[in-house]
Amino acid sequence: MIEVKNVTKQFQNETEIKYKDITFETGKSYMLLGASGCGKSTLLNIIAGIISPTSGSVLIDGVNMQEKSQKQRDKFRIEKIGYIFQDFKLINEMTVLDNINILNLEGINTQDAPRLLEELGIAEKKNSKIKHLSGGQKQRVAIARALVKAPDIVLADEPTGNLNFAIGELVIKKLVKASKNKTLIAVTHDERLSKYFDKVIDMNQMIADKKDIFGAGGGTKC
Amino acid sequence: MLRFALKNMAVKKIQIILVALSIVISAGIGVLAFNVSSQVSDGITSNAGYYSLIIGPSGSKTQLAMNTMYFTDEPLGTIPYSVVSTLSKDGMRVNSVIPFAMADNYNGYGVVGTSPEFLKDKELREGSLFDSSKTLEAVVGYNVAKYNGLKIGDVLHTSHSSTGLDTHEQGIKVVGILKESHSSFDNVVFTQIQTLWQVHTHEGEEGHKTVCAILVNAKNPGYALQLLNEYDGKIVTHDDETFTLQAIEPMDAVRDVLNDADDTKYIVFVLCAVILVMNIMIISIITLLNMYHSSKEISLMRLIGISMKKINLLYIIQNGIIGFVSILLAFGVSRLCLLMMNDYVSSMGVVLNLGLVYPLEIVILVGVFIISILPTAIWTLVMSKRDSIS
Repeated sequence: MIEVKNVTKQFQNETEIKYKDITFETGKSYMLLGASGCGKSTLLNIIAGIISPTSGSVLIDGVNMQEKSQKQRDKFRIEKIGYIFQDFKLINEMTVLDNINILNLEGINTQDAPRLLEELGIAEKKNSKIKHLSGGQKQRVAIARALVKAPDIVLADEPTGNLNFAIGELVIKKLVKASKNKTLIAVTHDERLSKYFDKVIDMNQMIADKKDIFGAGGGTKC
Repeated sequence: MLRFALKNMAVKKIQIILVALSIVISAGIGVLAFNVSSQVSDGITSNAGYYSLIIGPSGSKTQLAMNTMYFTDEPLGTIPYSVVSTLSKDGMRVNSVIPFAMADNYNGYGVVGTSPEFLKDKELREGSLFDSSKTLEAVVGYNVAKYNGLKIGDVLHTSHSSTGLDTHEQGIKVVGILKESHSSFDNVVFTQIQTLWQVHTHEGEEGHKTVCAILVNAKNPGYALQLLNEYDGKIVTHDDETFTLQAIEPMDAVRDVLNDADDTKYIVFVLCAVILVMNIMIISIITLLNMYHSSKEISLMRLIGISMKKINLLYIIQNGIIGFVSILLAFGVSRLCLLMMNDYVSSMGVVLNLGLVYPLEIVILVGVFIISILPTAIWTLVMSKRDSIS
């Protein structure tokens, strides 16, 4: 179970986001909806331990991640969290398999990679360099890399953003299927995909306040 | 880790080639300069202590010493053999007297006429020394035999010119082949002094019994000094011809040569040091630029959860492989250059030993290796101090 409690995040550009408390139950899939810039990706990054909240805390199975060091959060992320980044975060000069096998550096077993690539329909590209792939193919490589370690938590930031609806739907189905009994939190704009998730969260409702703290205005709702 | 490091290197071929090239150039030049200067210096001094004095025609001291001990340069001229006879009779002050004459060549290799005693400290690979009571026998140096396919019993014909024209009719039989000594002895044909006189005497003529130099071993340093004073500037007459002698101390002459060479050596060392420093800077800049360009890759790895420790290790392994392979290449290139320089250096009387590695060469190679991985280590250390990923 993931609990987001009293989390605020202030950025260097002086924007501050204050989240309402949210709880994500283990084994359920969540779809986060909301306008661009309302703090969906920031929330995923805070849960993943990539960025730290300015205040508040994220508890995963009762453990306050803010009390852990960056090194411990990194270890937790690589072992327990499968993160599908919006811009893929793949090394362009390396092959599909190498981008997945990079996890071997931390002792993660990636033997399942060929099967996952097969399921995602890009098995024939396994030895191709990332720079030679289309946006949709890169997206599927990023998904395969996130799922290959059989994570407890899957975080997906716009996993269908670069795919047409048909393929996007297929990917979401696979993602949901692969994340069965795990916690899946996916950010997407496409409401048509909401039927595949256990729960849809409108992030516009989950932001308590968003403001430019030195600006003239008060709180701005997403 | 190693497999991934190699794969990661494979995608950065140009940067890696640039770094490797800089390392090969800097380490190669450093090692080569030190090795050549040391071998030349060691080679020149190694022969100098054998004799108390050298007596020859008047002229350049250096030329007399270099020609007699290292078979380089042209002989200064000739002096009568009667001087050898006189010295040989001086049993009170003299231990040994060795005549030396250099004339002709065999396929470009010098031919020296002398007595067997000249080769007494040299080891034979096969055969025996020539017999002083006979003529037309030769002991050939290791390279002479190797590059001319000479065996014991073969007969060689010497000639006046290096082009092989003007060959003497009388053949000289090979009776011995010297072991490889990595000295100028490897490149010379040795025969009896009488053989040289014989091949140069035309039928019906009486040959002039002359030598180019006389190597003398005195019984003690005092006698050596006496003989030096006695023979230096001495005028002797033979067959109505007048000869002015000079006597030199071999170590003195060699010291003069080395002093001259030292100035050149220092200039070479300074130039090498400048090249080395410039290359170290280039290595550091290229490596730091590579690391800078890898920042995105490093951030990406950090985002997916790979620890800074593993990333550090990955880049240090990568640069370690590049550094290690490059210093091996640098060593190989330096040996290749030594091989190519051998012809030139052998004209100075020193045969370079490709297998000779000085401890300082290892220090240079290890130093360059450390310098090649230092920028990476510093960069990764700085990166790892930053706890935050974003």
